[in-house]
Amino acid sequence: MVERISFYDQIGRNKRNSVFLLIAIVLVLMVFGYVIGMIMGPDYFLIVMIASIIISLAYIWFGYYYSDKIAIASANARPADHTRYRQLHNSVESMALASGLPKPRVYIMQNEQINAFATGRDPKNAVICVTTGALEKLNKQELEGVIAHEMAHIANYDIRFLTIVTVLVGMIAILSEIFLRSFWFKSDNNGDNKAQLIFMIIGIALAILAPLVTSLVQLAISRKREYTADATGVKFTRTPSGLASALKKIKDDHAMPNHKVSKAVAPLFISDPFKKKIQNIFSTHPPIDERIKLLERM
Amino acid sequence: MAIWAWLIPSALVLLIALIFIYYYNKFVVQGNRIDNALSQIDVQLKRRADLIPNLIETVKGYAKHEKGIMADVTSARKALLSAKDLPARIKADNQLESALKSIFALAENYPQLRANENFLQLQSELSATEDKIAYSRQYYNDSILDFNNSIKVFPGKFFASLYKVHERPFIKITAQERENVKVKF
Repeated sequence: MVERISFYDQIGRNKRNSVFLLIAIVLVLMVFGYVIGMIMGPDYFLIVMIASIIISLAYIWFGYYYSDKIAIASANARPADHTRYRQLHNSVESMALASGLPKPRVYIMQNEQINAFATGRDPKNAVICVTTGALEKLNKQELEGVIAHEMAHIANYDIRFLTIVTVLVGMIAILSEIFLRSFWFKSDNNGDNKAQLIFMIIGIALAILAPLVTSLVQLAISRKREYTADATGVKFTRTPSGLASALKKIKDDHAMPNHKVSKAVAPLFISDPFKKKIQNIFSTHPPIDERIKLLERM
Repeated sequence: MAIWAWLIPSALVLLIALIFIYYYNKFVVQGNRIDNALSQIDVQLKRRADLIPNLIETVKGYAKHEKGIMADVTSARKALLSAKDLPARIKADNQLESALKSIFALAENYPQLRANENFLQLQSELSATEDKIAYSRQYYNDSILDFNNSIKVFPGKFFASLYKVHERPFIKITAQERENVKVKF
């Protein structure tokens, strides 16, 4: 019962946080637009503001509706064939039934590593992608555990939240870049140099700090979510042993880290695709031993 | 003063109306979830029944003399298709499962059958649908648990009696079913 409530709480929180983040994206863009406008001078101010509003709305719309396609493309995945990957399809269907959600689209990623990720904007538009390494190295129960974990990300609306966070992080990185370059095109001047200088300093500070802060927030959020998804996944399979033993295999797996994966989508995976050994505030995932320990206690 | 005199009561009335609507919708949504879960179980049971004739055809080619077991499977399938309500269907499915176990055990005696591609595929499909039935039953019971919890706790209890919403039964497994299925030879 307690588990159940916290599960719905998590969904509510994720949906609310998603809305807050969307508003934050718009605000951040406005601030950037404002600062750039002030630096470039009053002549450009209105144009810059209007352009930044249009660009931010277009960017959010595009990021929101095409995020799954972008993630799939960047992971270089293709749809899983129904007859060739029958067992995978069966496992995904089973987990969809256990969670009461529609079956997500299933993709395969050509990679030696044992890994999987889920993406999309809601359970109706969700994708689960599994590496060929996972299909070769995991048995049925372990694969089901991994898929239950991904299904949990979908059920908890983590996919929507992470999608928006990823959009935000990407956007701020682009903006900082644009901003730093915009100095080259700055109009040289009519008057009020002092004000422009102040805005320039604010601008530089924003450009440097914003990407750092957003990615730290993103990573902290993403680590916490993995534990929740592990727990929710266990609710679907009714046994923690599959996922626990899959995580052990992931830990002992010596396949090459996957450097083809874009850093932006790394938090979507079940385990860090870069396999960094050191755990710190830049880690996308909680320590695997800790996760196994928690699962074994359930 | 005059404004407050009617603003506060009307806000209260609105709040109460919203609470009534909230509970009504909650029961409807949770009830629909149960119905949907039920239809998911039926889809899987139907799919399982649909696979049987193929299996019989394949097995017949190799094990002509095992008519008894084949008849068991066919009659279990018929019982499954004609069962009226869920408990009857679940019971028929359990019968089917035990009859199928006998067939798969039987296959051990027929190496050629065991090597048949079609047979292996049917076998894995049938066991996959059995998993799916188990998972959809699990979700059905989860949905019922949610529903029953929300009509039993206060203030849900009050609204449930107001809207005449009743507790729903879980799918129970009888003591007999809980024992391991006996395999006949």
